[in-house]
Amino acid sequence: MNIDLSRRGFLKLAGAGVAATSLGALGFGEAEAAELAHVRAFKLAATTEARNTCPYCSVACGIIMYSRVDDATGKKRIFHIEGDADHPTNRGTLCPKGAALKDFVNAPTRLTQPRIRKPGGTEFEPVSWDDALDRIARALKDDRDANFLSLNEAGVPVNRWTTTGFLAASATTNETAWLTYKVVRSMGVVAFDNQARV
Amino acid sequence: MTQVAEPDPGMIGGVPTPPLAILPRPERLFGQRAARFDVLAEGSNLGPYLRFLADLARVQARLAADLPAPTPVPSDRVALARASRMPPIDRHDAGAEPLLDDTLSALCREAAGIEMPAAARLALDAVAAATPDDRRWLLGNVLDDAIPVDSPAPHLFAAAAVQVHLARIAATLDARQLVPIRTGVCPACGGRPASSVVTGVQGAEGTRYAACSCCQTLWNEVRVKCLCCGSTKGIGLQSVDDGTGEATVRAETCDECGSWVKQMLQTKNPALDPVADDVGTLGLDALMRGGTWRRGGVNPFLIGY
Repeated sequence: MNIDLSRRGFLKLAGAGVAATSLGALGFGEAEAAELAHVRAFKLAATTEARNTCPYCSVACGIIMYSRVDDATGKKRIFHIEGDADHPTNRGTLCPKGAALKDFVNAPTRLTQPRIRKPGGTEFEPVSWDDALDRIARALKDDRDANFLSLNEAGVPVNRWTTTGFLAASATTNETAWLTYKVVRSMGVVAFDNQARV
Repeated sequence: MTQVAEPDPGMIGGVPTPPLAILPRPERLFGQRAARFDVLAEGSNLGPYLRFLADLARVQARLAADLPAPTPVPSDRVALARASRMPPIDRHDAGAEPLLDDTLSALCREAAGIEMPAAARLALDAVAAATPDDRRWLLGNVLDDAIPVDSPAPHLFAAAAVQVHLARIAATLDARQLVPIRTGVCPACGGRPASSVVTGVQGAEGTRYAACSCCQTLWNEVRVKCLCCGSTKGIGLQSVDDGTGEATVRAETCDECGSWVKQMLQTKNPALDPVADDVGTLGLDALMRGGTWRRGGVNPFLIGY
């Protein structure tokens, strides 16, 4: 910062002219040095706060998720979830299900990958996403080809596929919800519901 | 944090909207700040400095009570400010107000009784004896948030006077007449925050309030948002790792603009003061200097950090 010090001669006696901290300039340099020496032994700990939407129901409460790196795994882990006080829907409040979200996220039984129980099988086995999506697409196509109705009893053209149902998720944006509706209804799916109502 | 209790139907159902601004009650605010500085001074390496600031805050509280009442901001100015989304207190004009100069004179007089090192005494005497032109320069720098790093000592006394003066003017405003201006800008005086607090007061639990470094107004700012640039991307928190994982004062960092501002969890400790604890947690500033971010909080008692 450029200061015209010659104009400020009244400060010369008060030690102006040299960059200093408030503490140093006021004569508390010793206390400052002691604190700086003390804190040198410490390290910084990083945490992250992230906004999200509770996935349980259509109220779509705002939540703040706290995470930090777990020393054991070296990966980020959520250690606290609370209602987002800035969110106009819930203003920081959560229902008992939402309040227990942390256990839901960190649950050892949580489903983290697609799994399949083959016809006649008794156990679920993991499959890749590519494999899972291919199988789902195949099954949908076969079912639609076999059961799609293009005319009703009166011979009026319809877009009706009654043998497959679709359940959408609740933690979606308006855009996702719009796209979901367009895709599902365009295919003729009649049994269309939302997990938000469960 | 202080709040006037008024009937609020929004409280029914437990989802009230937090108020935009909480205006200061200067006498009580500086009194409580002095008490907080006293508490922080106990057992701290910074004890001598914190005790000095406690005495200075007591002087501020006395001045807030004893000085003649400031002229409230005219209602047409408030209306104009509302219409143009500007703060009603004009900090530029405030520098020329005779009452501000009187406040500085009174502060110098009262502060002379405080026990302080020779360097501080020298600066205080220089401010007390300064010409009106030089005093306007000091006050102008403080009001512009542009305290030169080569003379923090005299500016500290000028800043203490500005805090008293602007807090007393802010106290005359009607909080409901204020409008949000921009992220990180005080809706009362246009000042920048010293730090922010996550409050636990009824009706606003868990919301964040930025604390004006100038007029001491607290104003609502959405959490997980940089107070310097308004970005909600790349926000992180750093705290001094004492092994408990329960830090109550944390540095909110922003990777977008590369700055950080302290955030204090009054939800965990209601005694935290946005200015006193800012000084008290100088250790966090020291550790943050080693990082990639620069300090964004404005505090005239912590120049150089």
